[in-house]
Amino acid sequence: MKVAMLGWEYPPFKVGGLGTHCYGLTHGLAEKNVHIDFYMPKLRQKVKSDNKNIKIIEVGEPGDAIFPYDRPDDKALGGKFFDLVYRYNNLLAARVKGNYDVVHVHDWLTMKAGVQIKEKLHIPLVLTVHSTEYDRAGMLYPNQWFIDLEREGMQKADRIIAVSNYTKKIVVEKYGIPAEKITVIHNAVYPTEEEGEKKPLVLFLGRLTIQKGPEFFLKAAKKVLEYEDAKFVIAGVGDMMPKLINQAVDMGISNKVVFTGKLSDEEVQHIYKISSIYVMPSVSEPFGITALEAISAGTPTIVSRSAGVSEVLKNCFKVDFWDTDEMANKIIALLRYDSLHSTMRQSSKREVQLFTWDRVADQTLRVYRGLA
Amino acid sequence: MPSVVFYFEVHQPMRLSRFSVFNIGHTEDPYATYFNHELNQKIFEKVARKCYLPTNKLLLDLIRKTDGKFRISYSLTGTFIEYCQMFLPELLDSFKDLVKTGAVDLLDETYYHSLSSLFDDLDEFEAQVKQHRQTIKKIFNYSPKSFRNTETIYDNRIAGKVADMGYEGILTEGSERILGWRSPNFVYKSQYSNIKVLMRNYKLSDDVGFRFGAKNWSGYPLTADKYARWMSNSFGDVINLFMDYETFGEHQWEDTGIFEFLKHLPNEVLKYDNLEFATVSEAVEKYQAVGDIDVPWAISWADEDRNVSTWLGNNMQIACFNELKDIGRMIKKQRPKDKELLNVWRLLQTSDHLYYLSTKGFEDGTVHAYFSPYEVPYDGFINYMNILQDLKEKVNGK
Repeated sequence: MKVAMLGWEYPPFKVGGLGTHCYGLTHGLAEKNVHIDFYMPKLRQKVKSDNKNIKIIEVGEPGDAIFPYDRPDDKALGGKFFDLVYRYNNLLAARVKGNYDVVHVHDWLTMKAGVQIKEKLHIPLVLTVHSTEYDRAGMLYPNQWFIDLEREGMQKADRIIAVSNYTKKIVVEKYGIPAEKITVIHNAVYPTEEEGEKKPLVLFLGRLTIQKGPEFFLKAAKKVLEYEDAKFVIAGVGDMMPKLINQAVDMGISNKVVFTGKLSDEEVQHIYKISSIYVMPSVSEPFGITALEAISAGTPTIVSRSAGVSEVLKNCFKVDFWDTDEMANKIIALLRYDSLHSTMRQSSKREVQLFTWDRVADQTLRVYRGLA
Repeated sequence: MPSVVFYFEVHQPMRLSRFSVFNIGHTEDPYATYFNHELNQKIFEKVARKCYLPTNKLLLDLIRKTDGKFRISYSLTGTFIEYCQMFLPELLDSFKDLVKTGAVDLLDETYYHSLSSLFDDLDEFEAQVKQHRQTIKKIFNYSPKSFRNTETIYDNRIAGKVADMGYEGILTEGSERILGWRSPNFVYKSQYSNIKVLMRNYKLSDDVGFRFGAKNWSGYPLTADKYARWMSNSFGDVINLFMDYETFGEHQWEDTGIFEFLKHLPNEVLKYDNLEFATVSEAVEKYQAVGDIDVPWAISWADEDRNVSTWLGNNMQIACFNELKDIGRMIKKQRPKDKELLNVWRLLQTSDHLYYLSTKGFEDGTVHAYFSPYEVPYDGFINYMNILQDLKEKVNGK
């Protein structure tokens, strides 16, 4: 089995869950003796493969690094960004050739190339949907240009993998794709070695956008602080940062809220380990791999019901993202009752070990075999 | 000739209201606020409709048709009786009709279906057993001779106390850890006290209680004649079939054929010359103990583990249990005359509240999830612990 996978980011170059996913998936598949050519944009620093079954093929000129998650508001910049995406897709379509059994793309960024390669090489196209325009827009004012692009890719794909039932539902209901064409494969996580002493920190980690719900985190923080003392850490960057800082000041809790800005991988691992609670209040979250990462680092987690991970993870708290009273109730209980914290920590750590890339690779391989 | 001993546990807990940390310290009437009376009434009426009323009717009919050869035993928890009195007095009447046939034995237990038998001293346990005894005497004019502790929790200490209180027999799980090579189909005696012990035949009991509707079970479908044949082929003095009463129509829904099974069972059993029915107290009186049992650590009929880890298996459960015990000591010391606080504290002792906090995985976990009003056990913990904190403030007069 040989797969052409058209990617966007790959460790060490990554800005979100997509890079982590591609790394885990390609390695899981490689262990099952699947050969993968992983195509990605050429960067200033070279990305090397650490597995004989995975070949990294860099496409384009150095300096084309594009950050898809920070969609520029600025029209001129936006134009440049889309130009780069188009150029990368055209380069891909010209570059990819050979004896592949399947071409696999992730999200809209490489969809166009995926469709062209499918037609050129007469091989089936698999599309994994990690997020849709509706998620990224927090269900408000989605951009029609993206929706059309995504719909076309979904229609032309022979098989769609959705990272949750939540995402599958969006693909069916908002994009009109038949449910039978979609396989749900939940994400996985590499276990972390737990160390580091827990501090009274409550963590939010993610892009500071409407989609991730950071303002609900702040509202809950305000309520918690009337009862318990703790620091609330907001880790990440995004267009809502100035607004959030003002919000914290207005609430009179700015001395208890820490904005970290962008963190390196090591810093992210460290903050998971020293935090007592991780909160993921997303308005719309296809999966939410960070919940698994936090738990793996021994941090009890509160997730939004609008997150795919809440479908499969048992040992966590689930809240409606807008119900900040309930969020605060749960944060206070976790801060106050050691027995709750320790029980949840142990049980969730045990459970998260079931979320392996080996399982994801098995399920993905089944999808490939059904097509090839 | 083996006696078939059917025993049913009849119980409904008083489930809690949603109680967040923001409610602590703002309660006027603990009984009204702690318990979700609306939900409890709804569940009680639903289970009554699906299980209690039709099963009582069927069993009364079977007793009459067999001229009392079909004999059964029950224990009704205090909270269950209170539900009957509040919402469905005719259900209580139907139990009275059953008792009047003379073919029905009632057992005592702790009024609140509590874990007070695991407290450091047994005063509270004794008080709750006495309260149950008085209630059964008052309502049924019946004085039980046998005892079944909460979910058949049993150890040497409990057996000793129950013997001291004058009971002649006690039920527990036919645990292999205790019996070893010995069969549960005989009557045993506590090694340290003068009380006979009936050990649950968990295989035959669970064939009905758990596996009846399971299509992937080799015994499926279980028919009355097949089950009677299995029992007739059994060896020993007693066949102890102990189960939740809710098995009929609630755990096993009507469409599994559970009522049809029950309807035909007495006649199928009585077709065999070597089988008869006996109540718990009759079996205790009729058979000699063939040996002693020694149970230093508590066992029960719950989960795969058959011990008390169902209620005290994780830190959350232990923290709540300790809190519960502390509050009890405070009430008895600071507010010995406050009947209402005492009653609320005891209602919070009902074992179900701790059962919902169990985090045991897989098979056992699914059973817990089915019976739990909470989405995850952690939610159950917060709710229960917040209520305990509120009660503590009440006791301290805050």
